[in-house]
Amino acid sequence: MAATRAGPRAREIFTSLEYGPVPESHACALAWLDTQDRCLGHYVNGKWLKPEHRNSVPCQDPITGENLASCLQAQAEDVAAAVEAARMAFKSWSAHPGVVRAQHLTRLAKVIQKHQRLLWTLESLVTGRAVREVRDGDVQLAQQLLHYHAIQASTQEEALAGWEPMGVIGLILPPTFSFLEMMWRICPALAVGCTVVALVPPASPTPLLLAQLSGELGPFPGVLNVISGPASLVPILASQPGIQKVAFCGALEEGRALRRSLAGECAELGLALGTESLLLLTDTADIDSAVEGVVDAAWSDRGPGGLRLLIQESVWDEAMRRLQERMGRLRSGRGLDGAVDMGARGAAACDLVQRFVCEAQSQGAQVFQAGDVPSERPFCPPTLVSNLPPASPCAPSLVGGPWRVPWPVVVASPFRTAKEALLVANGTPRGGSASVWSERLGQALELGYGLQVGTVWINAHGLRDPSVPTGGCKESGCSWHGGPDGLYEYLRPSGTPAQLSCLSKNLNYDTFGLAVPSTLPAGPEIGPSPAPPYGLFVGGRFQAPGARSSRPIRDSSGNLHGYVAEGGAKDIRGAVEAAHQAFPGWAGQSPGARAALLWALAAALERRKSTLASRLERQGAELKAAEAEVELSARRLRAWGARVQAQGHTLQVAGLRGPVLRLREPLGVLAVVCPDEWPLLAFVSLLAPALAYGNTVVMVPSAACPLLALEVCQDMATVFPAGLANVVTGDRDHLTRCLALHQDVQAMWYFGSAQGSQFVEWASAGNLKPVWASRGCPRAWDQEAEGAGPELGLRAARTKALWLPMGD
Amino acid sequence: HDLSWISKIQVNHPAVLRRAEQIQARRTVKKEWQAAWLLKAVTFIDLTTLSGDDTSSNIQRLCYKAKYPIREDLLKALNMHDKGITTAAVCVYPARVCDAVKALKAAGCNIPVASVATGFPAGQTHLKTRLEEIRLAVEDGATEIDVVINRSLVLTGQWEALYDEIRQFRKACGEAHLKTILATGELGSLTNVYKASMIAMMAGSDFIKTSTGKETVNATFPVAIVMLRAIRDFFWKTGNKIGFKPAGGIRSAKDSLAWLSLVKEELGDEWLKPELFRIGASTLLSDIERQIYHHVTGRYAAYHDLPMS
Repeated sequence: MAATRAGPRAREIFTSLEYGPVPESHACALAWLDTQDRCLGHYVNGKWLKPEHRNSVPCQDPITGENLASCLQAQAEDVAAAVEAARMAFKSWSAHPGVVRAQHLTRLAKVIQKHQRLLWTLESLVTGRAVREVRDGDVQLAQQLLHYHAIQASTQEEALAGWEPMGVIGLILPPTFSFLEMMWRICPALAVGCTVVALVPPASPTPLLLAQLSGELGPFPGVLNVISGPASLVPILASQPGIQKVAFCGALEEGRALRRSLAGECAELGLALGTESLLLLTDTADIDSAVEGVVDAAWSDRGPGGLRLLIQESVWDEAMRRLQERMGRLRSGRGLDGAVDMGARGAAACDLVQRFVCEAQSQGAQVFQAGDVPSERPFCPPTLVSNLPPASPCAPSLVGGPWRVPWPVVVASPFRTAKEALLVANGTPRGGSASVWSERLGQALELGYGLQVGTVWINAHGLRDPSVPTGGCKESGCSWHGGPDGLYEYLRPSGTPAQLSCLSKNLNYDTFGLAVPSTLPAGPEIGPSPAPPYGLFVGGRFQAPGARSSRPIRDSSGNLHGYVAEGGAKDIRGAVEAAHQAFPGWAGQSPGARAALLWALAAALERRKSTLASRLERQGAELKAAEAEVELSARRLRAWGARVQAQGHTLQVAGLRGPVLRLREPLGVLAVVCPDEWPLLAFVSLLAPALAYGNTVVMVPSAACPLLALEVCQDMATVFPAGLANVVTGDRDHLTRCLALHQDVQAMWYFGSAQGSQFVEWASAGNLKPVWASRGCPRAWDQEAEGAGPELGLRAARTKALWLPMGD
Repeated sequence: HDLSWISKIQVNHPAVLRRAEQIQARRTVKKEWQAAWLLKAVTFIDLTTLSGDDTSSNIQRLCYKAKYPIREDLLKALNMHDKGITTAAVCVYPARVCDAVKALKAAGCNIPVASVATGFPAGQTHLKTRLEEIRLAVEDGATEIDVVINRSLVLTGQWEALYDEIRQFRKACGEAHLKTILATGELGSLTNVYKASMIAMMAGSDFIKTSTGKETVNATFPVAIVMLRAIRDFFWKTGNKIGFKPAGGIRSAKDSLAWLSLVKEELGDEWLKPELFRIGASTLLSDIERQIYHHVTGRYAAYHDLPMS
C-alpha cells in the first residue's frame, strides 16, 4: 500500500458526523495583492495611480485581522484626476456606436469568467462573506449583468432613440457592500455611453480589480475609474465639475445630507438608501418555505440588511417554532469556508447588532439567537427579535427612528388580517423590497399590488435578474438599476443641454419664500366679461383663500386683467389633503376610465376655446397662435389618455418559471409648479401625464397669468371627481416653499427660477421626494419632445417589479 | 390520528425547488470528513437488486458484498476495520427472499433481508393478493417489507381508504418493519407527497420511501425535502420518529453525501442512523468504494481493483 493520506480522525467523525472545514484556497488573491506589492492605489485611466504622501489604511481580513495590504487614501486632486480621465474618455466612448460598447462589455464578461476564482476568493477574503454565495451568486450575476447590458448597448440606437448619455457618473458605494452593487450601476451607465468614477470606501480591492480587468482590455482605459477614499471625499466628488450624475448607495441619513448639500449643484442625484427588507407571512403560506425565505433575506450572505417579519397571528406559534428550529442549523464561520451560511462582516457590523439587541432587550423584547457560530468577536449569530413594543425606539414601525434593523437581525411582529398587514407594512417611510408568502393567488396579488415598495416577490425572497428593474420608493430613494429603468437613470432626452450648476451660495433656505409680500387693490378689473373665476380650486370647488386677500394680475399691456386669490400655507395643506382623499379612488381607476375623463376635459377645453383664446390674446398672443395653443392643449390631454393604456409589461427571466410584472404605479400626490410662460399649454402638458398615470395633483399655475388655469378649473369642477386636481394661486416662492417642505407630497415638479429649483432640491431631503426642477431653463412646451416627450411619462409614475414564480 | 392534519397543508413548489438547489451547494465535506461520511453512508445502504433476471447466484454475490462492502485493507488504512461496517440490508423481490436469507446465513451475518411487496412496482393488483404477498415474504424470512401504495387512491383524494390499506399492510407485516413507498414521481404534486407521507406515517409505517426506482422520476431533493418536513411535523405532533428512505437514481458518492447532509439539515443528527435512514441503491456502493480507495491511496482505482457486486 502506498502512502496513506488518511487522517486519524475518521473514527470520531464516523460517530459524530460533524461538518469539517472546507477551506477555499485564497492563494491567487494573495498573489494578485503581491503584484501590487501589497499596496493598493487607485485605478485611473487604465493605470494604477499611486500618488505619494497619502495616508494609507490597512486592508484586513475581517476575521483574522491579518493585514493583507495597505490602501492609499485619495485626496481631492486624485478625485479631480479621475474625473478628468473619465471626461476625456466620455468623448470617444459616447461617440462610438452601441455595438462597440457592447463588445467591450462582452469582453469584460469573458475576462471575469476566465478569472473568476481570483474574483471570488478576493471578494470573500476581504469582505468576509461566504465564498459560496460570491462564487455561485455574485460572480455569475456580474457576468449576466454585463451580457444583458451589452445587448441593450447594441440596440441602443433604435430602442433608445431620442435619448443620449448624461456624461460622467460619480458612483458612491457604502462601506459594506458586495462588488455587485457596483456592477448593477456601472453596467447600465457604461452601456448607454456614460463613463464612471467610482468612489469606494477604504480597503475594498475588488472594485479596483474589476477596474483593472476592464482597463487592461485596451481601447477604452478611462471609462471605469476607481478611487478609494474616506466618506469626506463624497461632497468633493459630487461637486466636481463635469460630473453629471451622482449615484449614491448607502445609509439614509448620509443620503439625506448629500441631497441637501447637492441642491443647486451641477450633478443630478440618484439615491438608493437603506438595506432593510420586509417579509409578510400569511396563514395560507407554506410556512417552511417562508422560513427559507427569511433565511435568504437575513440569515445568509445574500441579503445586505436586516428584515422586518410580519406574521399572521393565527400561525405565529407555528412560524416561530420553525424559525427557531431552522436557526439552530445555520452555520457561521470564515467566509472562505465552503460550507458556511454566514460569514462575518467585520467588527463595526457586529457592534451594530449588539447595540440593537441591547436596546431591544431593554425595551422588553425577546431575543433568540442560535446556530453553529464561532464565539469569538466578529461573528454575529442569527438573531430573532420578537415582542418588541411598537413604541420602542428601535421598533421598525417607528417613523423616523434612528434605528435600522441590521444584518443578521429579524424583527418579528404579528398582524391580524391582510388589510392590517398592508397598513403596518406601508406605515413606515421605507420602501425598498418585500416578499409576500401566501398560497392564495388573490390575496398574494392584493398584497403585492398594495405594498408601497420597489420590488415584491410572491413566495420567494431576494431573487434578482439583470432584466428586472430594482429600486425603491419613499425614503429608500427612487433610483433604479437593472432593466429599462436602470438605463434611463443615465440618459437624458437628446438635445437637452448639459446640466449646469445653478448654485447660489447666498440663498437662505430658512427665509426663501417665507413671507408673502402684501398686495394692495390695484383698481377695478376692466376687459371682456365674464369676469375670471375667483378663488382657489381645492376639493372640486372654488374656495376663498385662508388669507382672505388677493393679488392683481396684469395683461401684456400692463392693465389689470383680474384678481386671483392669495393662497398660503393653510391652503396648501387643504389642497394636499383633498388630493390625498381623491387619490385611492383615482389610482384604482382603470387607465381606460382615466383616459375617458381626460378626453372629456379635452372636449370641454375645445368648447371654451374662444374664452381661452381671448384671454391668451390679452397676454399678448396672436389670435391664431392663441387658438393653436388651445387646440394643442386639448390634443395633449387626449394623447396622454391614450398613451397610458399600454402601460407596464411582463418580463421573462432566465431560471424563473413564471412572469415578472413591471408595473407603473402612480406616485401619489404630485405637486406641480408651472412655468410662467405658456400659461395654458404648460399647465395642461403637466396636468395630463400626472393625471393619466393615476396621480392626484396640487398645481401652482403660471404666476404671470393664472387666469387660464382657473378657466380650466371651471371645467375640471364639472368633469373630474373632487380633489383630483387642485389649483392654488398666490406667491410662487411661498407656495413652492410650502409644497417642497410638505412631508406628504410624494413628488414635485418645479418649473421656475434657479433659486427656486435649488430650494426645492434642498427641501426635498425631508421625505426624499423625487423632484424635477428646471433650474431656470425654459422649455419649448409646444415641441413634442419637450412638451409631451417620454420623459414626462417616466417622471409621472414609479416602477414596481412584481415577481410571480409559478409551479405546482 | 386526525385526518385534519393534512387538510390545510400547502407546499409551494418553486420555493421547495429553490431550497433543493441551495441545499446541495451549501454543505460539502472534504478529506477525512468525506471518508468518514462515505463509510457512514455505506451503513445506510439497502443494497438492492430488483431485476427480472435475478437468480440465486447473483443474490449470493450481492449478499457477500453487503457483508464486505469495502475492501478490508482500505478499512484498515482508515482504522475502521473493527467497526463492523456492512450495508444496512439487502433488498430483493419476494421470490428471492429465500436465496438471500440462505446466502446471508452462509456468510454468517445478521444483515436483515428486505423484500418489496404489494404488486411492486405498480401496486395495481388486488388487495387480497397484495396482502398475501407480504405474508409470504415474511414467512420466507424477510424482516423488512417495502410496500408500494396505491397511487390511484392519492390521485382521487381517497385518503381514508389509503390509510385503511396501509393499516392492513402494517398488520400483515407482523413483526417485520414496514417501509411505505410513495412513488412520488406519480403523485402529481408536492402537496400530495406531503399528504401521502402523513397518511403513511399515521397508518403505522416505520419508514417512508420516495420511489420504487421504476418510475421515470425517482428520488429527487424537492420531494425529499417535503417528506422530511412531513416526518418532522409528525414527530412534533406525536413524538414518534419515522425513518426516511430515498431510492432510485442515487448512484454517485457525491450524491450520497448530499443526501446525508440533507437529512442532517432538515431533521438533525438523531435521524442519521440505520434505524431511521436508508438509501436504496445498487451501484452506489461501488462508487463509494472507489472514492475511499482514492482517499486512502491518492490514486484513482481501475475497474478491476475493486470486487464487483
